[in-house]
Amino acid sequence: MQDISDQHESTPSTWTVDDVDVEFLPLIYEIIRSLEKDPHDTTQKTRDSQDTTQKILELQRKLEKAREQIRKLPGIEYNSEEQLKQLDVLRNQLRLKRELLHKYRNMCTFEIPKA
Amino acid sequence: MSNISTGEKLIALIDDIELISKEILENTIAMKHQKMAGGEQVQLTELLVNKDNELKASLERAREQARVELKMDALKNEVERQDCHIRNLQRQLKEAEQILATAIYQARQKLASIAKANKRPVPSEDLIKFAHRISSSHAVCAPLTWQQGDPRRPYPTDIEMRQGLLGRLSNLPMAPQPGLADLHSLPPGAEPTVSTQNQFSWHPSGDLHMNVPGQGSVAMETRNHKTEEDVEVMSTDSSSSSSSDSQ
Repeated sequence: MQDISDQHESTPSTWTVDDVDVEFLPLIYEIIRSLEKDPHDTTQKTRDSQDTTQKILELQRKLEKAREQIRKLPGIEYNSEEQLKQLDVLRNQLRLKRELLHKYRNMCTFEIPKA
Repeated sequence: MSNISTGEKLIALIDDIELISKEILENTIAMKHQKMAGGEQVQLTELLVNKDNELKASLERAREQARVELKMDALKNEVERQDCHIRNLQRQLKEAEQILATAIYQARQKLASIAKANKRPVPSEDLIKFAHRISSSHAVCAPLTWQQGDPRRPYPTDIEMRQGLLGRLSNLPMAPQPGLADLHSLPPGAEPTVSTQNQFSWHPSGDLHMNVPGQGSVAMETRNHKTEEDVEVMSTDSSSSSSSDSQ
């Protein structure tokens, strides 16, 4: 709870699922393809190897970033059942408090004799 | 599985994807003879795709949960508001209770006073009479025209103290005071007469008995013939000084 609210404060706009980039498969596919390429030219080979390393680093960065972003997502500190349970608890609490207030506001009103 | 939160699940899925992709890449780089069988490779790839699908499904759930979270936030705010109302109400009730308790306490005191007054009613005329006597004999303050040398003064004077109960109790011999005769003539309303030595006497029962010798107190007696006995005791000339002493 506290973490979530802190994160809300630190990031002005709330993170949504759309902000999380989880497109790993195309990148992995590209890496595999460039790895499987076996050029005869040595310079080409070196360039490809550098390119692949770059892509692997990119994949790592992407994974790390996705983790970061997921940690900032709101409302995922519970699984959906627990969350729904919490929602129910809150609704119940609100109902009880409203009833309590209603009860106290309407109980034993003093009958003030009209002068 | 059902106990871990969606966030943890998402992180775990990403960890899995990282691990599997690492495995696949390592396998791709590895030498031909160290490579795992094609079936395994396919399995790994399928696993990776499954994990990716699972991740996307979980993200969809997270989206749903974010929506619920918004609702929960609204509910929480509402609950907070109700809490605030309840606290206010509680505070007001507490204040009301305190005010009412004070009012009841005071009312009880008043009722007790009323009951006490009803038990022994004192006619207002008597009160006024006493008040007049006390003020006319300068019992509480010196006369307005008082100047130095004027023997009139508020009670109790030295002589009156000697005349009073305490003076008598200490068995001091009542020496005749030189200025006493002057003093007698001065107060217009009440004349403090010098009473006899043994006008008051203590009885073992603790009651105070007074012997009125008939002289000097006759005039007062006629004035107060209607009042009760204790009032009579107080209203007699000779004891007026002692009664005002004690008040």
